[in-house]
Amino acid sequence: MALKDAAMPQLRNPGPSWGYRFIRLCDATLPEALFRPLRQGGTWTAVLLMQRQRGCSRDYLRVVLGREPGPRDLFRHFLSVCEALVLRLRVAGGLQHRCVHGPGSSDMETWLASNRPALLGTFHIGNSDLTGFMLAGQAHKRVHLVRLRVGNSHDTDALASRFGDLLRFVWVNDPSEMLFALKEAGSSGDAVALQCDRADHSTRCEPFEFLGAPRAFPFTIYHLALIFHRPVILSFGVPSGPAESTVYASPAFEPLSGEGRAEALARCRIHFQSFLRVVEAHLRVHPYDWLNFLPL
Amino acid sequence: MPDPLIAKLKLLIVETLRLEDIAAADIPDNEPLIGGGLSLDSIDALELVVRLEKEFGIKIASSEEAKRALGSVAELTAYIREHADPSRLPA
Repeated sequence: MALKDAAMPQLRNPGPSWGYRFIRLCDATLPEALFRPLRQGGTWTAVLLMQRQRGCSRDYLRVVLGREPGPRDLFRHFLSVCEALVLRLRVAGGLQHRCVHGPGSSDMETWLASNRPALLGTFHIGNSDLTGFMLAGQAHKRVHLVRLRVGNSHDTDALASRFGDLLRFVWVNDPSEMLFALKEAGSSGDAVALQCDRADHSTRCEPFEFLGAPRAFPFTIYHLALIFHRPVILSFGVPSGPAESTVYASPAFEPLSGEGRAEALARCRIHFQSFLRVVEAHLRVHPYDWLNFLPL
Repeated sequence: MPDPLIAKLKLLIVETLRLEDIAAADIPDNEPLIGGGLSLDSIDALELVVRLEKEFGIKIASSEEAKRALGSVAELTAYIREHADPSRLPA
């Protein structure tokens, strides 16, 4: 998971470092009737100014929609990021928000009720960032979040302060420190959460069928599962009400004692591909939930 | 006579990382283990560290220590000899 390109973080969260604090200030002082049009205006500004992200959005939407996206499609895609961010900031500020389990998530429920460690793979879809925090809070699980620290991680910092010791961070920006931190996290009895849809900070990527073509996805989580003998559960969360998100989770992948590495990795590939089909099925219906603005 | 610990460590590296194209004896003593001719990455390093801790009853306590230990086979040998439970070292 060493960084391939130290400059990559500059492409992420490209807004100013004070941006999130400004949003929180507006949210705290303006009525929703004013704040919402302000967010929409800000979103149009972002669509116009963020050329690289606009290009990535257009490329993704063209594939998922099966047609050339119009300006309104781009706006809705950008707005979904804005709305997810505002919700994260509100939850960080104390807003009550709960997560419920979607169909097929029984292994996640079983794991949450257990004392077992696990590796949790997440995707930048809908409220996934938030549901990771909320699951930690609701189930009182200690979770180590493997994240790339960017210029404005205010939302992450604010959520972390709300959940205190339940959340610990493994920053992947410094590969030399990352190795040791990952060992400590993996060896602990806690859960470790990794993002599984951005190949930019992973050395172990593999191609999987996604949106009609083979595309590179990080595969590091499965290598960690085999090293530490931990189950892997993949999930994503989407809004399902004004104060609720639904988490869709995969069956657990379980490493087997005595199984050869090649056979185990073959099972890992089937597990990941299977959940990617669930992800794709969701995005075909809710295309704007994909919160990645990077090349597919 | 070759150092039995060096031989054991080279074998352990090959086994742990499933280096099918490399014989244990072909691993040089003084070449960097990470980023050297073995083409190991950070996940390989992590797997190796976990195996070494289990095999020799050691605890690598910091990233600096991990970097030093994995500098080369020679440096790894010195590190293991210094920190391992003597009963776990080859005679």
